[in-house]
Formats: sequence, structure tokens, C-alpha cells
Amino acid sequence: MNNDIPVQTLGGQGEVMAHAVDACVHCGFCLPACPTYALLGDEMDSPRGRIVLMKEVLEGGLPLLDAAPHLDRCLGCQACVTACPSGVPYGELITAFRGWSEPQRQRSPLDRAKRAAILKVLPAPKVFSVAARLGQFVKPLAPALPAALRSPLDLLPESVPAMQPSAPFTPARGVRRGRVAFLVGCAQQALTPNFNAATLRVLSRNGIEVVIPDGQGCCGAAALHTGARDEALKLVRANLNAFNPDDFDAILSNAAGCGAGLKEYPMVLHGEPDEARAKAFAAKVMDISEYLGGLLAGGTLEPTLPASRPLKVAYHDACHLAHAQGVRAQPRDLLRAIPGVTVLEVPEGDLCCGSAGTYNLEQPELATQLGARKARNILSTTPDLIASGNIGCHTQIQSHVRRQGDRAPVMHTVEILDLAYRGEL
Amino acid sequence: MSTEKLALTTNSGARKPASAGGAPSALAAELTRALGPRKVLSNLSERLNYRYDAIQFGATPLAVVLPESTGDVVTAVRAARAAGVPIVGRGAASGLSGGAAPTEPGLVISFTRMTRLTIHPERREAQAQAGVITLAVTDAARPHGLIYPPDPASFRTSTIGGNLAENAGGPMCFKYGVTGDYVRALSFVDADGEEHHVTRDAFDLAGLLIGSEGTLGLITEATLRLIPPAPHTRTLMAHFPEVGACAEAVSAAIAAGAVPSKLEFMDRACTNAVEDYLNLGLPRDAEAVLLVDTDGDDLDTVQDELQLVADACERAGGTVRRAATDAEGAALWRARRSVSPALGRIRPQRMNEDIVVPRSALPDVVREIRALGDASPFRLVQFGHIGDGNLHPNILFDPRHEDTHAVHDLAHDIALVALRHGGVLSGEHGIGSMKRDFMTDAVDPATLKALWNVKRALDPHLALNPGKILPAEGVEG
Repeated sequence: MNNDIPVQTLGGQGEVMAHAVDACVHCGFCLPACPTYALLGDEMDSPRGRIVLMKEVLEGGLPLLDAAPHLDRCLGCQACVTACPSGVPYGELITAFRGWSEPQRQRSPLDRAKRAAILKVLPAPKVFSVAARLGQFVKPLAPALPAALRSPLDLLPESVPAMQPSAPFTPARGVRRGRVAFLVGCAQQALTPNFNAATLRVLSRNGIEVVIPDGQGCCGAAALHTGARDEALKLVRANLNAFNPDDFDAILSNAAGCGAGLKEYPMVLHGEPDEARAKAFAAKVMDISEYLGGLLAGGTLEPTLPASRPLKVAYHDACHLAHAQGVRAQPRDLLRAIPGVTVLEVPEGDLCCGSAGTYNLEQPELATQLGARKARNILSTTPDLIASGNIGCHTQIQSHVRRQGDRAPVMHTVEILDLAYRGEL
Repeated sequence: MSTEKLALTTNSGARKPASAGGAPSALAAELTRALGPRKVLSNLSERLNYRYDAIQFGATPLAVVLPESTGDVVTAVRAARAAGVPIVGRGAASGLSGGAAPTEPGLVISFTRMTRLTIHPERREAQAQAGVITLAVTDAARPHGLIYPPDPASFRTSTIGGNLAENAGGPMCFKYGVTGDYVRALSFVDADGEEHHVTRDAFDLAGLLIGSEGTLGLITEATLRLIPPAPHTRTLMAHFPEVGACAEAVSAAIAAGAVPSKLEFMDRACTNAVEDYLNLGLPRDAEAVLLVDTDGDDLDTVQDELQLVADACERAGGTVRRAATDAEGAALWRARRSVSPALGRIRPQRMNEDIVVPRSALPDVVREIRALGDASPFRLVQFGHIGDGNLHPNILFDPRHEDTHAVHDLAHDIALVALRHGGVLSGEHGIGSMKRDFMTDAVDPATLKALWNVKRALDPHLALNPGKILPAEGVEG
């Protein structure tokens, strides 16, 4: 798309944005992939429309405030990136744009406080855990509360487990075949500690020793994707210091959103002194299913015990795994490798579940519509189990599946593998 | 002609006409009163997004209506008439002729919310409102053992209304025909806001509306013919060291009696652009790639027919590869559908042509166009529905660094190649504004006058999608 974006005055992030706008040929192939277009049916709430709006704002032809409602509704799911033949890096565009525009936004004090609170609590597992457990007590009152408070409570599981900090080092069982670093994540430490425990057990079982480097923290994706660029940069730099890519075969994450965030570091630091370090770091980042899938493809994954009965597993593609990282086949292959497991494809599988980082807190109405639609689609396959690779999807899907009266367990792919190894599936 | 040259470069936000900005128009206020705020867009941030299609940016509309019923369309048309502003219909805006991009500020009616679709299996018909997504018709018909064959590359995005307005084609159309061949009846709203229901009987007013790009009326609903899909399909890919050889293979295969269901061609640059997107292992070094489907009721016949094509390709110097599975065939067709937008990887803007030439002339035409490209400073690529002689030469350029007037001249030269070989300007994309200039080369003055008489009869105020298809009266070739 032809544009007059003033790259020279916008710097490195300007280059990122102008490159994306250049690549768009406004063909509209992205429209049917976009969740908000599916719900709202208007061009402003489509990827193509948003690219035009961002271009107009950057060129000075449209006030930011006018474009903001439509840009704020973008989930950042990147389904449009998968659908785009001309290779528009839409995820980079919307992230850079939010970073550029957020300091210019005039938000109400309440809105500012809410955003600040989210960005404070989310990356701090201990605080999150306390908040989540407090939330348990308030949860029964949810129907009487205003929507802004209700939406996070709705997503809380029925019981919040106690925190189980992971050991900084997990040795390989048997012959050591590899050494990886692991990013432990934030919300999942508080809400679903078994994700990490299962990850460590499965890796160890496969002869992979796991280091959880000290000094690591939140990946920064939540801050970055809500435009808090300075906040994000601090987190990015902390992780670059904590993980030395030369020490490990891979740097693993088991949360699709975090893994995608880690892989974005070179874009975040484009044109800055740390860009080369970020590239070396990102080159080692893999999702847990991508790494284990590699072992499976190479014939070195330890076989699991069979499931105790034939199991139909509906696999949900997390957007930040399928669209942002292109990881689709590996988790399915891993599940299929368990004797007795059949993998079911979910109708409209490319459509976001509405969780999308902080989206279900910021746009609860659309998030709820998408969550309900996702649950309906998943349940239409009548699964015994529901698998996904992301904490956000996990809570959203669990919440909506329960609301629709179904009790099918919702699990991380690696939890299912872990159970199979233990003969408990 | 100068306005059209300008149209190639009007997609900069910095050069918007003054009438586009600022306060909502009186028209928007009136529409909001009549239809309610949910169906009317009046903010600049909203209207800016209804000024383009997949090839061109036009004028920012004064107001946009998202009708949910034919009644809403009638109300909107009457309000625009009362305000004396032009009316442009719009589907998904995935068109490639500028058909949905307004040439002047007015009312845009976007049909994306009119999506009612009913399948009547016993009549083998679909009743579809204008905003129904093309592929949705087949998706809904398939459980009844039926499909809707027209398959423009954008069929996941495009709407039936848009397809009807441009008389869209697609790979399936070589054997099965274009959009217009599947229309049994239409409903449309005329320039005065009257609703009409027409069939294919004399006068075939439905036929007149099809492909008229919203210049004669606004199609609101269609009755579409459905057919049972062929039970067997086989896919083949052949690649060639030279574009002309590929065209010779096509002529030879058809002369030998093959009637493939799809017969598509892409040149080297196209192949590389889609390969960058999909990583399918397409032959990046080949000068031309041919994709072929044969289909039918009897597997032996389908395979024999594919063999005829394979033999013709090999005799013309091609290398043949058959798709081993349905999934492999589907992946190849996804690659073909992605060609046009994937060209954005090469240059940010393009001038897209849609010529149709007699099949016997194909080898000469693709070679002449290749030579025009080689002699020009631009990247010129070719792909298209070569089975029915429908080619899409695309000039890829960057208007910031390259001369858009020279682009236009090259596009004109390409159009003249087609006309010299007995061809026409548009096979499936429509004329829109992109190829309107070339109409005086393609149509004689007396016929143009007749077309203008038709236009005036149905749209006496010249309010419907002005500046499309017909060159201004009195403009000579």
C-alpha cells in the first residue's frame, strides 16, 4: 500500500510500521480470518481496515482518537498473518503502533488505573496468586459487580491452587541428551502450576536437563501488546541478561503467548544496540511442543504408555502458537503418538477464543462472544479431553465450556503427555 | 485520460479532498434518522475505510450504509437521490478493477450484513442475499450433494453481490462457466429506489445487470443454480523453461480433446511470490507453471484426460508432476489463489489486467507481453486462466520511485496486444475505473453510444457508480 509514513521522524519502530503498510495490497484475504470482522462485519474492524487507519494516523490524516476504538478491538491474534499472501507482518505493525501511540492516548483515571493494575499483577506471580485467591472469595458476588470487575472473576477457575515454585535445575533422567533453559511464565504459576511441573517431568523423562535461570521475569508481551513499551523494554532486557543462548540447546516456553513474545524481541529492539543479542536469543526460543515435536520427528522421543481407554482429544490452536509461531503440526503429532488418542479438529479452528492476553479484561463483551463461540465449536466435536498450549486460552475455554454445562477436562498438551508417561491417562 | 492516470496514485491520506474530512454530512444525519445509528457510518475513521477495493483507492464517501434488508437499501438510495449524491455499491471490496472505489464523494452501500442464504436442494437452487460470502454457498450446499462452481481466487472473502457486479470468474469457469451462467433470477433496487425482481426471460434484464458494476442498479439478492460436484478429480502440475511453450501445451491439449475443469498458468515471478508465502516446493526456476484439474463421473476417463494434458505438456518441453493426494492438489490450488495478492511481496502497487484472447493466439500473446515487460523498466508478471485465454498481466511498481504515467502506457500497450489478436479487455474482473480508458480502443463509437443509451434509460440521473466502465461521452479512441 502506497504511503507517506514519515519514517525518518519515527525511527526504528517507524521502519517496522512502514514496511508492514508497504507490503499490504489491500486484497481483503484477511477479512474472513479476523474475529472482530466475523462479529461486527465492518471494514474498520478488519485487518485491512486497521492497516489503512494506522497508515492514516501515522501520515497525520486522521486523529489517533478517531481510529483508537477500532485498533483497540484488535485481539492481536494474527490469524490475518496466516491468511495474508503478500506477507504483511501485521503483528509487528499493531505492536509497534500501540507502543508509538499509547503515550499520546488520553485515558480516564479509572482506565489508567485498571491498565496499570493489570500490568502490575500479571507479571508478578506471587501478587497474582494472592489476588486470584482473594478473587475466589468475591467470585460468588460476581453477578452483582460492574462488568470491569466481573470479567476477570468469571475467568478464575473454581479453585486456585497454592504456588509451587519450580526447582532451578531439573536433571535429565537416564542418559543426558540435551540441556534447555525454561521460562516459567507468570499467570500459569499461580493458576495452573501443573503446566510447569508436567513440562519439567516430560523433559527430564526424555533425557533433557532443564535450567530455570535466575533473574528471568515476565516475557513482556502483555506490556508490549498494550502499548506500554518502556515497561516492556525493561522486561525484555532483564530476560536477555538472564538467558545466555550459548549455554542451551533451546530456550523453552510452554505458554504460546510468552513464546511468541520472546520471539518478538528482535522486532522490539529493531535499530537499537541490543538487536543482535535479541536475534541470537530469539533464534533459540521454542515452544515446548515445537521442541518435543522435534524429538518425535527425529525418533528420539520416549514412547508413552497407552491411554487407559480410547480418548478423543479436541486440540485447540492457540493463536500465538498457530498464527504467531506457525506451530500447528507438532502438538497434534505429539498427542497422536499416545496410543489410544484420536485428535479432533475444531470447526472454525483458526478463530481466536477471545482470551488474547489482556483482551478479555479490556474488551469483555467481544471476548465473551468469541469465548462462547469457541466453546460451542469445541463441544460440537464431543471430545473426552480438550488440549491447548496456552494459559490464556486454557482459562477462557474452561470458563466457557463450563458455562455451557460440559465437564470435559481442559489440559495443556504437555499435561496429557505427562499423564500418558505415568500411565494415568 | 488524465484523471485516470491520477487515479492510480490517489491512495495517499495526505491528499484527501477537502470534502472528505471533518463534520458528518447532512446526508449522514438524514440516514441515521431514517435507519438508526447501527446501520450508518458517518465518522471519518469509518468512511475512510470504504473508499478502496483490492486495487485502487478512491474518494472518501460522505456516508456509508450497512443495510440489513432490501428495505434499508431502498431508504438509502432515496436519501442519496434526495441529496443529489452518487451511490456506489460495495461487497467485500476484493475486486480488481476499481469497481467499488468511488470516483467522487457520495453514498457507499456496503452489503456485508445482508447475508441470508437458503438452499433449495429439490430445485438445486440457492437464494442468496448480496452480502453472502461466495464460498459460503458451496459450504451450505455440499451437505445436499451440491456445489456452486464459480470460484474467484478471493472466494473466501468476496460476496455474491460483488461477484454478480463484476461477473466474476475463477479456475472452475473454464469448464463450468462464470457467475452469470449460474443466475436464474435477481432482485435489484433501481436508481430511484424502486425494487425489481427479474429472471432470464426476455428482456434478460438480469443479464444486463450482471457485470454492470452497480452502474445500472444495486443487486440485493440472487437465485443461483447449483450442480452436483464431479465425483472424481485429478490434479497435475507441469513446468516449462519458456512461457510460450506453456501456452503451446495448452492449445495442443485442448486440440487433442481434453476438457480440463481447471487450466491455470503462472510465470516465474508469480511462482516465487507464492512459494515465499506457502513453501510448497514449487519449481522456482521454471519460467512457467501450469496447474491442471480434470474431473468427471468416471475415474478412467478423468485419468485419460489428464494423460492427454500430460502428453501435450511433455511434447512442448514441460516436466509433469501429478498430485499424489487430494491434499496435495488442494495445496497447489491454494497456491494459485494466492498469486495475485502475493505479488505485493515484489512491489507495493500493481496495475492488473484481465485480457482474454483466442486460445490459438496464446503463445504469441504471452511472448509479446513478456517482451514488452523485458523492454520496460518495470517488473511485469503474468498468470491467469489460460484454458479460456484469460490472462492477468500485472505491472508491479512503487509509485514513490517509479513513473505511474509510464505504468499506464505499458498497461495500454498490453491491452492493445490483446485487442490486436482479437481479444477483449476483461474476462472476469470488470472494467471499473482501471480499464475504462481502454474502452475506446475496444468498443466502436456506435456501440459505446448504445451502451450510454442503456445507462441513461436505467440511471437517468447518472447517480449509480459514476466514472465506471463507460468513458465520458464524446471521448474518442
